[in-house]
Amino acid sequence: MAATVKIFNIVKSNMSPNKLTYGLLAPMQVRSKYYCISEPDPSMKFKDMSERAVHIMFWTELFRGLGITLANLFKEPATINYPFEKGPLSPRFRGEHALRRYPSGEERCIACKLCEAICPAQAITIEAEEREDGSRRTTRYDIDMTKCIYCGFCQEACPVDAIVEGPNFEFSTESREELLYNKEKLLNNGDKWESEIASNIYADHLYR
Amino acid sequence: MSSLMKFIGVDKIQKAIQIFQENGGLKASLIKMLRNDELKSGTLVGVDKYGNRYYENNAYFVGRNRWIEYADHYWLDYNASQIPAEWYGWMHYKTDLIPTKDPNRPHHRWMLDHTENMTGTSGQYTPYSTNRPKIEAWIPPKK
Repeated sequence: MAATVKIFNIVKSNMSPNKLTYGLLAPMQVRSKYYCISEPDPSMKFKDMSERAVHIMFWTELFRGLGITLANLFKEPATINYPFEKGPLSPRFRGEHALRRYPSGEERCIACKLCEAICPAQAITIEAEEREDGSRRTTRYDIDMTKCIYCGFCQEACPVDAIVEGPNFEFSTESREELLYNKEKLLNNGDKWESEIASNIYADHLYR
Repeated sequence: MSSLMKFIGVDKIQKAIQIFQENGGLKASLIKMLRNDELKSGTLVGVDKYGNRYYENNAYFVGRNRWIEYADHYWLDYNASQIPAEWYGWMHYKTDLIPTKDPNRPHHRWMLDHTENMTGTSGQYTPYSTNRPKIEAWIPPKK
Protein backbone atom coordinates (compact mmCIF):
# COMPACT_ATOMS: atom_id res chain seq x y z
CA MET A 1 0.00 0.00 0.00
CA ALA A 2 2.78 2.36 0.93
CA ALA A 3 4.53 1.54 -2.35
CA THR A 4 1.42 2.33 -4.39
CA VAL A 5 1.14 5.66 -2.71
CA LYS A 6 4.77 6.33 -3.47
CA ILE A 7 4.36 5.58 -7.19
CA PHE A 8 1.29 7.75 -7.32
CA ASN A 9 3.18 10.60 -5.69
CA ILE A 10 6.06 10.25 -8.13
CA VAL A 11 3.79 10.26 -11.14
CA LYS A 12 1.96 13.23 -9.75
CA SER A 13 5.20 15.17 -9.35
CA ASN A 14 6.08 14.50 -13.04
CA MET A 15 9.23 12.54 -12.36
CA SER A 16 10.48 10.40 -15.20
CA PRO A 17 10.06 6.70 -14.43
CA ASN A 18 13.72 5.80 -15.10
CA LYS A 19 14.69 7.71 -11.97
CA LEU A 20 12.78 5.21 -9.86
CA THR A 21 14.72 2.86 -7.71
CA TYR A 22 15.51 -0.61 -8.97
CA GLY A 23 13.63 -2.45 -6.27
CA LEU A 24 10.44 -0.56 -6.74
CA LEU A 25 9.80 -0.83 -10.43
CA ALA A 26 12.47 -3.08 -11.90
CA PRO A 27 10.51 -4.20 -15.03
CA MET A 28 9.63 -0.64 -15.89
CA GLN A 29 13.13 0.83 -15.91
CA VAL A 30 14.38 2.39 -19.09
CA ARG A 31 18.09 2.66 -19.76
CA SER A 32 19.06 5.79 -21.52
CA LYS A 33 22.80 6.08 -20.90
CA TYR A 34 25.50 3.75 -22.22
CA TYR A 35 29.26 3.69 -21.82
CA CYS A 36 31.69 2.21 -24.33
CA ILE A 37 34.28 0.28 -22.31
CA SER A 38 36.21 -1.16 -25.24
CA GLU A 39 39.17 0.67 -26.69
CA PRO A 40 38.04 3.56 -28.89
CA ASP A 41 38.61 3.18 -32.60
CA PRO A 42 41.86 4.71 -33.82
CA SER A 43 41.67 8.12 -35.31
CA MET A 44 41.37 8.04 -39.08
CA LYS A 45 42.84 11.46 -39.73
CA PHE A 46 45.61 11.32 -42.32
CA LYS A 47 48.22 12.73 -39.90
CA ASP A 48 47.47 10.11 -37.22
CA MET A 49 47.37 7.29 -39.75
CA SER A 50 50.74 8.19 -41.20
CA GLU A 51 52.21 8.48 -37.70
CA ARG A 52 51.01 4.97 -36.86
CA ALA A 53 52.48 3.65 -40.09
CA VAL A 54 55.86 5.22 -39.24
CA HIS A 55 55.81 3.63 -35.77
CA ILE A 56 55.18 0.25 -37.30
CA MET A 57 57.78 0.63 -40.04
CA PHE A 58 60.58 1.75 -37.72
CA TRP A 59 59.82 -0.85 -34.96
CA THR A 60 59.70 1.78 -32.25
CA GLU A 61 57.92 -0.66 -29.94
CA LEU A 62 60.88 -3.02 -30.10
CA PHE A 63 63.34 -0.30 -29.23
CA ARG A 64 61.21 0.94 -26.36
CA GLY A 65 61.07 -2.62 -25.04
CA LEU A 66 64.83 -2.97 -25.33
CA GLY A 67 65.16 0.30 -23.43
CA ILE A 68 63.17 -1.16 -20.54
CA THR A 69 65.39 -4.26 -20.59
CA LEU A 70 68.50 -2.08 -20.47
CA ALA A 71 67.09 -0.02 -17.61
CA ASN A 72 66.40 -3.16 -15.59
CA LEU A 73 70.03 -4.26 -16.00
CA PHE A 74 71.07 -1.35 -13.80
CA LYS A 75 68.35 -1.83 -11.20
CA GLU A 76 68.97 -3.46 -7.84
CA PRO A 77 68.22 -7.16 -8.31
CA ALA A 78 65.25 -8.50 -6.39
CA THR A 79 66.78 -11.98 -6.12
CA ILE A 80 68.28 -13.23 -2.88
CA ASN A 81 71.84 -14.41 -3.42
CA TYR A 82 71.56 -17.82 -1.72
CA PRO A 83 73.62 -19.24 0.06
CA PHE A 84 75.18 -15.91 1.01
CA GLU A 85 71.87 -14.28 1.79
CA LYS A 86 68.89 -16.13 3.18
CA GLY A 87 65.21 -15.40 3.39
CA PRO A 88 63.20 -14.68 6.51
CA LEU A 89 62.08 -17.74 8.48
CA SER A 90 59.53 -18.18 11.26
CA PRO A 91 60.48 -19.50 14.72
CA ARG A 92 57.68 -22.01 14.12
CA PHE A 93 59.32 -23.38 10.97
CA ARG A 94 59.14 -27.17 10.90
CA GLY A 95 62.33 -28.60 9.51
CA GLU A 96 64.65 -31.45 10.41
CA HIS A 97 63.74 -33.38 13.55
CA ALA A 98 65.81 -33.41 16.71
CA LEU A 99 65.62 -35.07 20.12
CA ARG A 100 66.35 -32.64 22.92
CA ARG A 101 68.01 -33.02 26.30
CA TYR A 102 67.42 -31.47 29.70
CA PRO A 103 70.02 -28.88 30.75
CA SER A 104 71.64 -31.61 32.83
CA GLY A 105 72.32 -33.59 29.66
CA GLU A 106 69.69 -36.26 30.36
CA GLU A 107 67.64 -37.11 27.30
CA ARG A 108 64.04 -35.93 27.51
CA CYS A 109 62.26 -38.72 25.68
CA ILE A 110 60.40 -41.07 28.03
CA ALA A 111 59.11 -43.41 25.31
CA CYS A 112 55.42 -42.55 25.83
CA LYS A 113 54.94 -43.20 22.09
CA LEU A 114 52.41 -40.39 21.65
CA CYS A 115 54.34 -39.12 18.63
CA GLU A 116 54.34 -42.59 17.14
CA ALA A 117 50.59 -42.82 17.67
CA ILE A 118 49.74 -39.42 16.21
CA CYS A 119 52.10 -39.54 13.22
CA PRO A 120 49.77 -39.54 10.18
CA ALA A 121 52.50 -40.90 7.93
CA GLN A 122 53.53 -43.56 10.46
CA ALA A 123 57.12 -42.48 10.04
CA ILE A 124 58.15 -42.98 13.69
CA THR A 125 59.13 -46.31 15.22
CA ILE A 126 59.81 -46.55 18.95
CA GLU A 127 60.92 -49.43 21.11
CA ALA A 128 61.43 -48.97 24.82
CA GLU A 129 63.16 -50.77 27.65
CA GLU A 130 63.90 -50.14 31.27
CA ARG A 131 67.30 -48.61 31.75
CA GLU A 132 69.75 -49.79 34.41
CA ASP A 133 68.72 -47.00 36.78
CA GLY A 134 65.07 -48.02 36.42
CA SER A 135 63.92 -45.15 34.17
CA ARG A 136 61.95 -45.80 31.02
CA ARG A 137 63.84 -44.82 27.88
CA THR A 138 63.78 -45.66 24.22
CA THR A 139 66.17 -48.15 22.75
CA ARG A 140 64.97 -47.42 19.27
CA TYR A 141 63.72 -44.09 18.01
CA ASP A 142 63.66 -44.16 14.23
CA ILE A 143 62.13 -41.57 11.95
CA ASP A 144 61.83 -42.31 8.27
CA MET A 145 62.38 -38.82 6.90
CA THR A 146 61.23 -39.97 3.47
CA LYS A 147 57.81 -40.78 4.93
CA CYS A 148 57.60 -37.71 7.13
CA ILE A 149 55.23 -35.01 5.91
CA TYR A 150 56.54 -32.34 8.34
CA CYS A 151 53.10 -31.71 9.85
CA GLY A 152 54.53 -31.04 13.31
CA PHE A 153 52.05 -33.29 15.12
CA CYS A 154 54.90 -35.14 16.87
CA GLN A 155 56.18 -32.02 18.56
CA GLU A 156 52.63 -31.00 19.47
CA ALA A 157 51.99 -34.42 20.98
CA CYS A 158 55.21 -34.62 22.96
CA PRO A 159 54.57 -34.01 26.69
CA VAL A 160 58.23 -33.31 27.52
CA ASP A 161 59.29 -31.27 24.44
CA ALA A 162 61.66 -34.07 23.48
CA ILE A 163 60.98 -34.45 19.76
CA VAL A 164 60.97 -31.12 17.98
CA GLU A 165 61.14 -30.08 14.38
CA GLY A 166 64.19 -27.88 14.29
CA PRO A 167 64.86 -24.92 12.03
CA ASN A 168 67.22 -26.76 9.69
CA PHE A 169 66.06 -27.45 6.15
CA GLU A 170 69.47 -28.00 4.58
CA PHE A 171 69.73 -31.73 5.25
CA SER A 172 69.29 -33.05 1.73
CA THR A 173 71.20 -36.23 1.03
CA GLU A 174 72.63 -38.05 -1.92
CA SER A 175 71.22 -41.43 -0.96
CA ARG A 176 67.89 -42.52 0.43
CA GLU A 177 69.25 -44.51 3.36
CA GLU A 178 70.79 -41.40 4.91
CA LEU A 179 67.26 -40.16 5.54
CA LEU A 180 66.36 -43.12 7.77
CA TYR A 181 67.27 -41.40 11.03
CA ASN A 182 67.93 -43.39 14.17
CA LYS A 183 67.99 -42.28 17.77
CA GLU A 184 71.64 -41.31 17.83
CA LYS A 185 71.33 -39.13 14.74
CA LEU A 186 68.31 -37.39 16.24
CA LEU A 187 70.05 -36.78 19.57
CA ASN A 188 73.09 -35.48 17.68
CA ASN A 189 70.84 -33.07 15.81
CA GLY A 190 69.43 -31.90 19.11
CA ASP A 191 72.90 -31.32 20.58
CA LYS A 192 74.00 -29.43 17.47
CA TRP A 193 70.91 -27.27 17.10
CA GLU A 194 69.96 -26.74 20.76
CA SER A 195 70.98 -23.07 20.63
CA GLU A 196 68.52 -22.33 17.85
CA ILE A 197 65.79 -24.73 19.02
CA ALA A 198 65.75 -23.17 22.51
CA SER A 199 65.67 -19.67 20.98
CA ASN A 200 62.73 -20.64 18.78
CA ILE A 201 60.79 -22.07 21.72
CA TYR A 202 61.55 -18.92 23.72
CA ALA A 203 60.40 -16.70 20.83
CA ASP A 204 57.11 -18.58 20.67
CA HIS A 205 56.47 -19.12 24.40
CA LEU A 206 53.90 -16.31 24.70
CA TYR A 207 51.66 -17.91 22.09
CA ARG A 208 51.50 -21.40 23.53
CA MET B 1 75.96 20.75 -9.47
CA SER B 2 75.41 17.66 -7.36
CA SER B 3 71.88 17.27 -8.72
CA LEU B 4 73.27 17.45 -12.24
CA MET B 5 75.83 14.76 -11.35
CA LYS B 6 73.01 12.66 -9.97
CA PHE B 7 70.96 13.18 -13.13
CA ILE B 8 73.80 11.99 -15.33
CA GLY B 9 74.49 9.05 -13.00
CA VAL B 10 77.97 9.99 -11.82
CA ASP B 11 77.01 9.21 -8.22
CA LYS B 12 76.48 5.57 -9.22
CA ILE B 13 80.02 5.37 -10.53
CA GLN B 14 81.32 7.01 -7.36
CA LYS B 15 79.38 4.47 -5.31
CA ALA B 16 80.85 1.59 -7.33
CA ILE B 17 84.37 2.94 -6.78
CA GLN B 18 83.65 3.25 -3.06
CA ILE B 19 82.45 -0.37 -2.88
CA PHE B 20 85.62 -1.52 -4.66
CA GLN B 21 87.74 0.45 -2.18
CA GLU B 22 85.88 -0.92 0.84
CA ASN B 23 86.48 -4.46 -0.35
CA GLY B 24 90.22 -3.94 -0.48
CA GLY B 25 91.13 -2.80 -3.95
CA LEU B 26 90.59 -4.15 -7.44
CA LYS B 27 92.21 -7.59 -7.05
CA ALA B 28 90.55 -8.44 -3.75
CA SER B 29 87.23 -7.23 -5.12
CA LEU B 30 87.49 -9.43 -8.19
CA ILE B 31 88.28 -12.46 -6.02
CA LYS B 32 85.24 -11.64 -3.86
CA MET B 33 83.08 -11.33 -6.95
CA LEU B 34 84.25 -14.77 -8.05
CA ARG B 35 83.47 -16.35 -4.67
CA ASN B 36 80.35 -14.45 -3.65
CA ASP B 37 78.87 -13.79 -7.11
CA GLU B 38 78.48 -10.13 -6.21
CA LEU B 39 80.18 -7.26 -4.45
CA LYS B 40 78.51 -5.45 -1.59
CA SER B 41 79.56 -3.00 1.05
CA GLY B 42 78.50 -3.43 4.65
CA THR B 43 79.63 -3.47 8.22
CA LEU B 44 81.20 -6.60 9.69
CA VAL B 45 78.78 -7.67 12.43
CA GLY B 46 80.65 -10.67 13.71
CA VAL B 47 82.84 -13.67 13.03
CA ASP B 48 81.89 -17.15 14.23
CA LYS B 49 84.35 -19.69 15.53
CA TYR B 50 84.57 -21.43 12.16
CA GLY B 51 85.82 -18.23 10.50
CA ASN B 52 82.65 -17.23 8.65
CA ARG B 53 82.12 -13.48 8.51
CA TYR B 54 78.70 -11.88 8.83
CA TYR B 55 77.86 -8.52 7.28
CA GLU B 56 74.93 -6.17 7.44
CA ASN B 57 73.90 -3.11 5.47
CA ASN B 58 70.34 -1.95 5.86
CA ALA B 59 70.49 0.14 2.69
CA TYR B 60 69.59 -3.11 0.90
CA PHE B 61 66.09 -4.50 1.26
CA VAL B 62 65.19 -7.23 3.75
CA GLY B 63 66.45 -10.55 2.46
CA ARG B 64 69.57 -8.94 1.04
CA ASN B 65 70.65 -6.76 3.96
CA ARG B 66 72.40 -9.53 5.89
CA TRP B 67 74.91 -11.81 4.30
CA ILE B 68 77.70 -14.20 5.06
CA GLU B 69 81.15 -14.59 3.62
CA TYR B 70 82.18 -18.17 4.16
CA ALA B 71 85.57 -18.78 5.75
CA ASP B 72 88.47 -18.51 3.31
CA HIS B 73 89.53 -22.13 3.63
CA TYR B 74 86.26 -23.31 2.08
CA TRP B 75 87.20 -21.41 -1.11
CA LEU B 76 84.48 -22.48 -3.56
CA ASP B 77 83.21 -25.42 -1.50
CA TYR B 78 80.85 -23.24 0.50
CA ASN B 79 77.31 -24.27 1.21
CA ALA B 80 74.49 -23.00 3.36
CA SER B 81 74.73 -25.81 5.91
CA GLN B 82 78.06 -24.36 7.05
CA ILE B 83 76.19 -21.62 8.91
CA PRO B 84 76.25 -22.71 12.59
CA ALA B 85 73.10 -22.90 14.70
CA GLU B 86 74.07 -19.82 16.75
CA TRP B 87 74.02 -17.56 13.70
CA TYR B 88 71.15 -19.30 11.96
CA GLY B 89 68.46 -17.15 13.58
CA TRP B 90 70.24 -13.93 12.75
CA MET B 91 70.80 -14.98 9.14
CA HIS B 92 67.11 -15.83 8.80
CA TYR B 93 65.87 -12.56 10.33
CA LYS B 94 64.36 -14.30 13.36
CA THR B 95 66.32 -12.06 15.70
CA ASP B 96 68.28 -8.84 15.49
CA LEU B 97 70.60 -9.97 18.26
CA ILE B 98 73.87 -11.53 17.27
CA PRO B 99 74.61 -14.66 19.35
CA THR B 100 77.17 -12.98 21.60
CA LYS B 101 74.59 -10.36 22.62
CA ASP B 102 71.61 -12.71 23.01
CA PRO B 103 71.14 -13.58 26.71
CA ASN B 104 68.55 -16.30 26.03
CA ARG B 105 70.82 -18.62 24.09
CA PRO B 106 71.75 -21.70 26.13
CA HIS B 107 75.33 -22.80 26.60
CA HIS B 108 75.30 -26.34 27.90
CA ARG B 109 78.44 -28.35 28.12
CA TRP B 110 76.86 -31.23 26.21
CA MET B 111 76.15 -29.10 23.13
CA LEU B 112 78.10 -30.18 20.08
CA ASP B 113 80.04 -28.24 17.48
CA HIS B 114 78.30 -27.55 14.23
CA THR B 115 78.99 -29.78 11.25
CA GLU B 116 78.02 -29.15 7.71
CA ASN B 117 75.86 -31.52 5.71
CA MET B 118 78.20 -34.49 5.31
CA THR B 119 76.28 -36.33 2.61
CA GLY B 120 78.41 -37.80 -0.12
CA THR B 121 81.57 -37.79 2.00
CA SER B 122 83.15 -40.46 4.18
CA GLY B 123 81.66 -38.73 7.23
CA GLN B 124 78.08 -39.24 6.11
CA TYR B 125 75.46 -40.76 8.39
CA THR B 126 74.50 -44.33 7.68
CA PRO B 127 71.56 -45.80 9.55
CA TYR B 128 71.98 -48.71 11.92
CA SER B 129 69.84 -50.38 14.54
CA THR B 130 70.20 -48.98 18.03
CA ASN B 131 68.95 -52.06 19.90
CA ARG B 132 69.91 -55.69 20.25
CA PRO B 133 68.69 -58.12 17.58
CA LYS B 134 65.55 -59.89 18.79
CA ILE B 135 66.41 -63.18 17.16
CA GLU B 136 69.84 -64.61 17.63
CA ALA B 137 71.24 -67.36 15.51
CA TRP B 138 71.51 -70.75 17.13
CA ILE B 139 75.05 -71.84 17.46
CA PRO B 140 75.05 -75.64 17.49
CA PRO B 141 76.89 -77.22 20.41
CA LYS B 142 80.16 -78.82 19.50
CA LYS B 143 80.40 -82.59 19.75
